[in-house]
Amino acid sequence: MVTDRIEKIRQNYINSKPAISYERARIWTESHKKTEGQSTPLRRAIAFRDTCEKLDVKIFDGELIVGATGEFRKCGILTPEFSWVWVDREMDNFDKRVQDPYVMTDEQREYVRENIFPYWKGKSLEEAFLAQLPRDTAIVAVDTGIVDNDSKWRQAVGEITPDYEDVLFKKGFGGIIREARRHIAELRDITSENMKKKEFYESIIITSEGIIAYANRYAREARRMAGKEADVKRRNELLNIADICERIPENPPATFHEAMQFVWFTQVGGILSENPLALNVGRFDQFMYPYYKRDMEAGEITRDEVQELIEALWLKLSEWVWTISANTAEFFAGYNQFQNLTVGGKTRDGRDATNDLSYMALLATERIKTHQPGLSVRIHQDCPRDFLDAVMHLVSKGTGFPAIHSDQAGYQMLINAGYEPEDARDWNNCGCVVPHFRKTGEWTSAVNINFTAALEFALNRGYSRITGLKIGLDEKNPASFASYEELEEAFYKQFDNLIEHSVIATLVAQNLHKQMVPRPFLSSCIENCMDDGVDLVDAGAKYNLGPVLTGIGLAVTSNSLAAIRKLVFEDKVADMGTVIKAIDANWEGYDELRQMALNAPKYGNDDDYVDSIAIKMANHYYKEGHKYKDINGNNFNTAFMGISNYLPTGKVVGATPCGRKAKEPLSEGVSPFAGSDTSTPLAAMRSAAKLNQDIHSGGTLLNLRLSEDLVSTKRGQGNLGNMVQTFFALGAFHVQFNTISTETLLKAQEHPEEYRDLLVRVAGYSTQFVNLSRSMQDAIIARTAHNKF
Amino acid sequence: MNNLYGFFMEPQNFSVNDGEGIRTIVFFAGCPLRCKWCANPEGLAHVDRMSHRYEMCIGCGKCTIICPEGVGNNLNLPVEREKCILCGKCEDVCLTGSRKRLVKKYTVSEILKILERQEIFYRYSGGGVTFSGGEATLQQDVLRELAYVLYDRAISLAIETSGYFEFDDIKDILEKLDLIFIDIKHMDDEKHRLYTGAGNEKILANTQRLNELNAEVIVRVPVIEGVNDSIDNIVKTARFVKESIKKPKMELLPYHSFGDEKYEAMGMEKPSREFKSPSPEALDKLAGLIRAEGVKIVSYK
Repeated sequence: MVTDRIEKIRQNYINSKPAISYERARIWTESHKKTEGQSTPLRRAIAFRDTCEKLDVKIFDGELIVGATGEFRKCGILTPEFSWVWVDREMDNFDKRVQDPYVMTDEQREYVRENIFPYWKGKSLEEAFLAQLPRDTAIVAVDTGIVDNDSKWRQAVGEITPDYEDVLFKKGFGGIIREARRHIAELRDITSENMKKKEFYESIIITSEGIIAYANRYAREARRMAGKEADVKRRNELLNIADICERIPENPPATFHEAMQFVWFTQVGGILSENPLALNVGRFDQFMYPYYKRDMEAGEITRDEVQELIEALWLKLSEWVWTISANTAEFFAGYNQFQNLTVGGKTRDGRDATNDLSYMALLATERIKTHQPGLSVRIHQDCPRDFLDAVMHLVSKGTGFPAIHSDQAGYQMLINAGYEPEDARDWNNCGCVVPHFRKTGEWTSAVNINFTAALEFALNRGYSRITGLKIGLDEKNPASFASYEELEEAFYKQFDNLIEHSVIATLVAQNLHKQMVPRPFLSSCIENCMDDGVDLVDAGAKYNLGPVLTGIGLAVTSNSLAAIRKLVFEDKVADMGTVIKAIDANWEGYDELRQMALNAPKYGNDDDYVDSIAIKMANHYYKEGHKYKDINGNNFNTAFMGISNYLPTGKVVGATPCGRKAKEPLSEGVSPFAGSDTSTPLAAMRSAAKLNQDIHSGGTLLNLRLSEDLVSTKRGQGNLGNMVQTFFALGAFHVQFNTISTETLLKAQEHPEEYRDLLVRVAGYSTQFVNLSRSMQDAIIARTAHNKF
Repeated sequence: MNNLYGFFMEPQNFSVNDGEGIRTIVFFAGCPLRCKWCANPEGLAHVDRMSHRYEMCIGCGKCTIICPEGVGNNLNLPVEREKCILCGKCEDVCLTGSRKRLVKKYTVSEILKILERQEIFYRYSGGGVTFSGGEATLQQDVLRELAYVLYDRAISLAIETSGYFEFDDIKDILEKLDLIFIDIKHMDDEKHRLYTGAGNEKILANTQRLNELNAEVIVRVPVIEGVNDSIDNIVKTARFVKESIKKPKMELLPYHSFGDEKYEAMGMEKPSREFKSPSPEALDKLAGLIRAEGVKIVSYK
């Protein structure tokens, strides 16, 4: 059982509504007004320091780990330097929108419209991006659901893992300041490059001073509260918090509690600096273990106290709400900020890395039931049975956690991306399902590409069936395709064109990030940036990987090609013209043909007829994407990730030859189309594992829903564990399970108030079911539940 | 290529209740017994029988057009059933799978191909293949071929049998198996004959002879309220198991009526409503009695 303290904090948390705070934006804007004319890195660093020095200090009841990003319990902040336009356009509807609503008052709106937004007019990343994006790419790539990269010009990048082991816990921000000063002193030669480096180190000194100041303000507040606290126990806790906040993050942590507080301050720093997506905690059980071991051996902490601190951190991680546009929210539903936290796996030298903290992290997620952190586990083939069992036990609780990853596949993906073996072995997960490493700068979710739209353009002369707009390339009358090969060629022509526009949109965004939004605070958390004096936006990390293109709709598109191949060119039960008329009519009046289309082979059933089409598509995707280089000369990477992107991308695509109706969701990652994997989960796994997953270094995702009684016994969980190990032996990278009964989900739709803490897996991450829009909930219910073991 | 063929129901991958780990159940069609509660009526004879699931039929009429014998839409009317020659043409044109052959001819090679795709799951879970039915031993040539090939691949093998076979004829097959589930449906010969169409003498004798093998033996009782759930019968069964088997183990399987829809689909009369599942409490009690006789209760749940 969790402690009373944790339960109180948890209740307080789940009963709060996500609310927008403009405090960070206010201070940021006022700071920028004072620094006009200075260089961009320094202006951003100073704005960060000002924010740290002026933001309200807020210690909530009973907290052991402190630090807030604003005045609310579930708090979203504004970053007008990235984009204010969409906020201005959408904020009147913030509390009314279907997916991820926020509380915002009229007074707040009035304030930001009068005092914040006017300053940023013409200065934001969004405006620059839209001004510079070539027109023909804009038609394909701006708010279309076809090629979508708005999270890279309406938001910050994030997608980074602070390096606790080699940077933060070793030096503290005080040490980072000293190091920066030393570098500045050593940079004697007067060259343009050195001047830029000096400026970088100066920006680092400023952000480091900022985060130290922020902590010291919490120390003062804790001391002030202790002075007024009647309860002796709480008074001592507050005094202890004050001591901790005075020591860290300026100095390296000495105890487990200090290290935990350090992690949260680093998260807060990242949030205030850019409100990032996927600011990962990284390999928590590895970098925290020395502190755990030391404190336990010294008898300074008990296991229960450690567990309580872990749970306290879990709640802090859940407090921050990512402020995103309605369009982005469709793609990343559920207030998810993707703070991924990885446990298990192997050590840098290849030994089993599992330790007490690995298990305690699983337990914390089981007990806290919030959507953060995004808990990921690495499972290797010789992983301790106890750990595998503990993972399956958590699966049986139906929270959708953890995301289960193959240790070997993650390693192989990084090796294929050019990592040194030791570093590849030390991988942590980024965001939802991206193998990553703490010395890396990368855009792990650069663009979403709608595969099925490419097929639609091939089958509709380049036009969208939903909007009637010409978005694709010219194509001949689809009724005149004389062979499957001809159709396939037309599809790949459209497909390659979408990749081309994805690359263009990414390059424009990358260049602007470099110019407009350098990242001094997060650069200070990455080893090589500090050594070389180069910001993350200038590719300062040890590894700089090319941006990741995320493919959506692999299953639907493969199923559709298979259906045409079978019905039109093999069985000849219908001609091309009839199929086109049927999908034009959204299958109305074509019940029989639709039934035949539904009966055609479907990906996810270990049927080579259609799986081979999917394999070819995935391989082609890799080759075509990989041939492009980003602004730093790195090849683009590919992924089949989840997020919730299969819903918005489905809304913009008409009926498809596989039998799917217009606007219905597509398919996520390498998962089968919902409800079409009718054989066994083993068959779905076999289909997914055929896809040469390790070439897609941006990650792959398989979601399966299991009936809860399948894993209600220890033996059921044991078999599931064996099944997962088999899947990984086949070369796959990730699988995650929802194990809630359909009945429970329907009840939760009816009585959301009773199910506020019901977590479900959306795709690559889990979130509260009641936080999802109705259509998202329906899509989850529609996933095939495998209930026959 | 092994072209030896037999008659099977659809093999079931991902089974976890009939032996260790993740298994594939290979259902052989045809059975010497006629248990009145049978849950797999399609497996009674090893001949084709076209099933027609009325609730899945959308009434498109394709089957009536293609049928050479002029069978109408509702195959389950006795008059239509009589006309059916099992040519299978209706199954090919049926859009929804409403018409379906539940028993199909597979060669040994075809079965092996299905199993091969599952082998990696057996390896990781300690699973394997379970032969079931119907009564697998009735098609002993095919069973022998499968058992020998799979044995040489070191795959764990189990059988679920009614116990109604000629022991010496198939002893070599049984020697290849790791686990044998054998049913004892009633200890009373008369009642056994009444409910299954055959006496239990051969079954009991075969159960005793299983000691000649090295395989693990589990005696299964399909527990049906009012048929074989009396304390007297269960205790007698347990005593018999204790006396006959070196490592005595039993599993109680509560009767279920999931097979009813198959009877409907095949135009057959459903089992009597008198057959009922025992309550969990009653099962617990029977399990207790069995344990008291020194027999271990096992369950693959």
